[in-house]
Amino acid sequence: MPGAPIVVIRELSKVYRQGEINVTALNSISLDIQAGEFLALMGPSGSGKSTLLHIIAGIDRPTSGSCEVQGVDVTRLNETELADWRNQNIGFVFQTFNLIPVLTAFENVELPLLLTRLSGRERRRQVQTALELVGLADRQKHLPRQLSGGQEQRVAIARALVTDPSLVVADEPTGNLDSHSAQEVLAILRTLSQTANKTVILVTHDPKAAAFGSRTVHLEKGELA
Amino acid sequence: MSIETFIIRNALRNKRRAALTVLSVAVSLFLLVTLLVAMRELTQPPEDVGAALRIAVRSRISIANLLPARQRAVIERIPGVEAVSPFSFFGGKYRDEELTMFAQFGMDPKQLRPIFGEAKMPAEQYAAFEADQRACIVGKITADKYGLKIGDRMPFTSTLYPCDIQLIIAGIYSGTIDDRNVLFHHKYLEEASGTEGQTGLWWVKAASIADMGPVTSAINRAFANSSAEVRAETERAFQLSFVSMLGNIKLFITAICSVVVFTLVLVSVSTMSMAVRERFRELAILKALGFRRRELFVFILAESFGLAAVGALVGIGGALVLFTQMDMSRVTQGIMLTFEVTPRIMGLAGLVAAGLGISASIAPAISVARMSVVDGLKTLD
Repeated sequence: MPGAPIVVIRELSKVYRQGEINVTALNSISLDIQAGEFLALMGPSGSGKSTLLHIIAGIDRPTSGSCEVQGVDVTRLNETELADWRNQNIGFVFQTFNLIPVLTAFENVELPLLLTRLSGRERRRQVQTALELVGLADRQKHLPRQLSGGQEQRVAIARALVTDPSLVVADEPTGNLDSHSAQEVLAILRTLSQTANKTVILVTHDPKAAAFGSRTVHLEKGELA
Repeated sequence: MSIETFIIRNALRNKRRAALTVLSVAVSLFLLVTLLVAMRELTQPPEDVGAALRIAVRSRISIANLLPARQRAVIERIPGVEAVSPFSFFGGKYRDEELTMFAQFGMDPKQLRPIFGEAKMPAEQYAAFEADQRACIVGKITADKYGLKIGDRMPFTSTLYPCDIQLIIAGIYSGTIDDRNVLFHHKYLEEASGTEGQTGLWWVKAASIADMGPVTSAINRAFANSSAEVRAETERAFQLSFVSMLGNIKLFITAICSVVVFTLVLVSVSTMSMAVRERFRELAILKALGFRRRELFVFILAESFGLAAVGALVGIGGALVLFTQMDMSRVTQGIMLTFEVTPRIMGLAGLVAAGLGISASIAPAISVARMSVVDGLKTLD
């Protein structure tokens, strides 16, 4: 069951400058996300859902407002602090998988652990665990091009989980997958939320994908609908 | 997986490009080393072992001006002088050659061993050389090149004197820094050319290192304000005076070296920029995963530096092996004698490679540092 808020967003706005025109991507959004929650962020293209996700994950900055994740206002962290914070607290899953093509599945999952002080043995153990969790323990020596789309996305999920982050952000993770693979990926994300108490934020425009979440939030023209 | 493995995998992801980059660095550095070695050899000619005690005495006005034979007795009387020999360049063409690549000098055969002791030859050949006024001795390189042997005749037509000479080989020497020259009797030159009592220059052997300075000064003083003033100088200084005749060859070679290095920098910067640009999205992913600007810079620097280092190893190492194994004196027909790849030259080329590795990584590293994760993720593969 959901607990205390892990994400607290207050009066968050993001305005882009496109030439002479100001484009409002987010307009004074306030939102709480509970720990262990599987939140689906829905909305049409350009509604600001990805921008909101990026700010929560600390890879984009708002124009105004605050965004606290586990009590840390990420909008106030500098570049280096943000990088460390992301490594320790955020797991990313992208639409296009974004695995490093020259690394095996095992090495791709191991990548975030290179920034930690873990020994080689500990790293191997954590990578094994993460790959087992997504059902790909037998594919660890495969390069991304030797995997199917669904398998690639599961490797990406393993990479997101390997540092044991409290928050997993997934930006259209099923956008490039067939329906069967999409179901598998969404089921894994739901399991993470339900059994491992991970907070999962899923950006999607697909109602079927959103149905896997425990709550759905709609955005429209940068505002909560 | 270690960070090193990750860097190596990235560097080798496009093997053809990596190989071509390494090859371009290697070829350029090989060329750079070759030019530096050539410049060193031209501007700092190698010295013979006996050079430290030898003094060249030439006309103060010009090396083309002949000196009177009477100076010999004056020089021989100077304390510290051990031996004196006239020495004149004949400038002959061998047989019907258009350009003869070895020099012929007239000298006093009796002073050969005292002054040019490093020329090794059996005693009977020395004796035969001294005994016959038409005799000559030939350096081993020339003898080998023309297949010459003792007793063979060597006809020369001079480009400087109005005469031809016909020499008979009495000996074949080796052991000097330039075993190409032909040495013959100065007396024969004087008689054949009608220049009795004149010499191109004097070679003087000092008794010891300590005598070099006083003897040099004494020779210069002895003929000061005479009709044939001289310039006495060490063999080294004498050699370098010839180098100055090469004009701005140093500037010319330096200009070529600079162009080589500059082109190399452009090629490397372009290659690294291309390599980084095509994986901007991956670098954005690394940033998202928590890699900092500093770490990404290290990745790019290490990759660029690594490729430059391998190129340097191949280029500089190749030059070292090739020029050590190859007889460059033979290849260049004696124009280059030792063609030595010195540690200093290797160090300089290594520094160029290191600078190259660093400079090639700066522009891509800056663009990656400036890139936001969101913008990087939008980059197309």
